Amino acid sequence: MGGRFGAFSFVDRITDVVPGVRVRGLYRVPAALRAFPAALVAEAVGQLAAWAGMAALEFRRRPVAGLARDTRFLRDVGPGELLELEAELESCTDDDVAYAGRATTGGAPVIALEQCLGPMLPAEDFDAPEALRGDYALLCGAGAPPGRFGGLPDFDLQRTESVAGERAKAMLRVPASAPFFEDHFPRRPVFPATLLLDAQIRLASALAREALAPREDAVPAAARMLDVKVRAFIAPGQLLELGAERVAAEADGFTARLSARADGKTVATARVEFAARTRV
Amino acid sequence: MTQQAEISKEEIMAVYPTVAATIADALGCEPEDVQLDVSLIEGLDAESIDFLDLVFRLERAFKVKIPRGKIVEDARGDLPEAEFEQKGLVTDAGLARLRSFLTEVPADRIASPLKVADVPRLFTAETFCKLVIRSQKAAG
Repeated sequence: MGGRFGAFSFVDRITDVVPGVRVRGLYRVPAALRAFPAALVAEAVGQLAAWAGMAALEFRRRPVAGLARDTRFLRDVGPGELLELEAELESCTDDDVAYAGRATTGGAPVIALEQCLGPMLPAEDFDAPEALRGDYALLCGAGAPPGRFGGLPDFDLQRTESVAGERAKAMLRVPASAPFFEDHFPRRPVFPATLLLDAQIRLASALAREALAPREDAVPAAARMLDVKVRAFIAPGQLLELGAERVAAEADGFTARLSARADGKTVATARVEFAARTRV
Repeated sequence: MTQQAEISKEEIMAVYPTVAATIADALGCEPEDVQLDVSLIEGLDAESIDFLDLVFRLERAFKVKIPRGKIVEDARGDLPEAEFEQKGLVTDAGLARLRSFLTEVPADRIASPLKVADVPRLFTAETFCKLVIRSQKAAG
């Protein structure tokens, strides 16, 4: 389906909400997808919190990616699964929204986010406030049509520097056009920070596999992301230099410091922890 | 009453170790790089998102509520915005108010012309110590 409110929207229905305080919702991962990255589950929780925040502020302001102190990746989700989403807003003002949230499937934890903070900016810079209000009413009522998300293009990472298990750099060319830009955001296309994080996790994942002794029964998987800080908007077509550097490596664990730079300026930083996950 | 009279050096030094450690965590710098009088922007390359991060962390470290994103407004105090700034520049009355509020900043740094957007460049580690102490006092 794609387009506005389709190409990068990950809440199908809001089932319970106290604007500015707490919210619950549902999202069905489209069955036709090949995969659904953990970063998009985090995006779904963030979008749910954003709806509760925007509603509290009468859609005058909208949050953008800022800080995520602690994100735990607890289980993969697959095509067709139903995500139960919830978020509690610690505070919500014209300046920012602070929240925690989580996603489950069938009651089993999938992801948990703590101490997230999104700066609030004028909503009209990104989308038509009345359109946002209409979307919110739909989500709180019958719900949006499921299966709107059509997947992501492949983002090729081209390694430019590599010391096995120690550090790596790679270039990521943000596409000049892609369906998700129609939705993120209609009036100002911005490369979603969660897609950047997904690319950074992939780079660090390769480093973790190099650093840790191979095991037949398990593979290193991203378990926790800490101190995510998004410093700047990333525009379509921008060239990013991603960096991953080992901080610590133990028998079953690997920690890397992540960075992303554009035009010589740091645009995002984070740390990621990998833990051995049993093969299925 | 000025901020100088409200907050003592002892109070500042009581919170400073935690504030300094929090600044180092937020900015990803070494703790020894943080000094009481260092400008966070000019000395430690902080940006606006770092201020947000820092205040978010200080709230948790000290278990206080700090109005994020309103540090400049706090500095303005009860001076109406129209008297504090004109056409993006801090007025003489505004400069006097800043000198009273930011006693940790050498007075000659708070001089005309000063853009309102550049006020955060004056903020030091001590500014954030005072922010914490004011929040603690406000909470009773």
